[in-house]
Amino acid sequence: MHEGAIAESIVDILKQVMDDNNLKRIVRVRLKIGKMSGVMIDALLFALEALRSEEDVISQTAFDIVETDVKAKCNICGEFYEYSDVSEVVMLCKKCGMPLDIIEGKEMEIVDVEGE
Amino acid sequence: MKRVVVEKKILERNDESAKKIREILKNKGVFALNFMASPGAGKTTIIEKTIEALKDNYRISYIDGDLDTDRDASRIKKLGIDVVQINTSGACHLDADMVLKALKQVSLDCDILIIENVGNLVCPATFDVGANKNVVILSVPEGDDKVKKYPVMFNVADVVLLNKIDLLKFLDFDVEKVKKELKEINPDADFIEVSAKEGYGLDRWFEYLKNLIANSSLL
Ligand SMILES: Nc1nc2c(ncn2[C@@H]2O[C@H](COP(=O)(O)OP(=O)(O)O)[C@@H](O)[C@H]2O)c(=O)[nH]1
Ligand SMILES: [Mg+2]
Ligand SMILES: [Zn+2]
Repeated sequence: MHEGAIAESIVDILKQVMDDNNLKRIVRVRLKIGKMSGVMIDALLFALEALRSEEDVISQTAFDIVETDVKAKCNICGEFYEYSDVSEVVMLCKKCGMPLDIIEGKEMEIVDVEGE
Repeated sequence: MKRVVVEKKILERNDESAKKIREILKNKGVFALNFMASPGAGKTTIIEKTIEALKDNYRISYIDGDLDTDRDASRIKKLGIDVVQINTSGACHLDADMVLKALKQVSLDCDILIIENVGNLVCPATFDVGANKNVVILSVPEGDDKVKKYPVMFNVADVVLLNKIDLLKFLDFDVEKVKKELKEINPDADFIEVSAKEGYGLDRWFEYLKNLIANSSLL
């Protein structure tokens, strides 16, 4: 359950965001989590929920999670691939057999917050 | 109500610490390996064999992050190697801050730093610990479906060691399937079949490792 550690990192960054922007509370946070980041969304939401009672910064915060598909591109022929299921991911170009470059799907990011 | 654009990596702090580790190791001329696998796959056994084979020509240090007992650390200490035990107290992975702290205690007057990560095929894959190469071990008794089941881990591997091939004759395990699925999820990963117990394939692994180190010192 490394999502606990991820949730703690989110809280640390939110505290900084609050200080930097003179916010008294954060009502909404948008997260972007790639399907190949190794993070399970349910486990992350569970870990955030568990932290809520001890971390004032997220006591009233709603978390919106945008899950991104795995996107990859062939540098040789330009073919584009998109996978919504990680177990289906093939990082080889079907046309020319060359390794693909991953464009999206591994990220774990705080996109923006709403607060006052 | 105010909207603030953040656009920050959640693991930014870990990535910064991993970068610091790489700088420290580079300055010291140390080549670091991060061993990841399920519990019991053979991490400590392969590490022991590797140290035995290479210790006359390379100075080696070892960081043990595998659970709370010091069983593995004392096995490696017997080989006359400088050992630091990270007390992960129940954590399911090592992170860069833990390794950075351990670097203060372990001898860095070495050529190779071996990090044994927590036994787990999921969590350690997400945390960069500043190593030069990720070594992922899969063992035959775990089954031949693991690459597809743990794609994130196999995707971050630089080399996969298939261990316990001495047991192939007793089990239904399709090596070609594992190779094919690894190629699909990670076309650049190398693959070496070994038996740490019987010694099969270990020479190939030692040669491979020596080459990695030689090439890295040219950079
Ligand atoms: N049959 C067989 N057993 C092995 C092999 N390598 C390791 N083992 C055994 O597997 C068990 C777990 O090994 P260990 O190195 O402690 O695994 P770790 O938890 O990944 O560090 C031990 O009983 C080893 O003796 C192998 O190549 N073949
Ligand atoms: Mg071990
Ligand atoms: Zn192509």
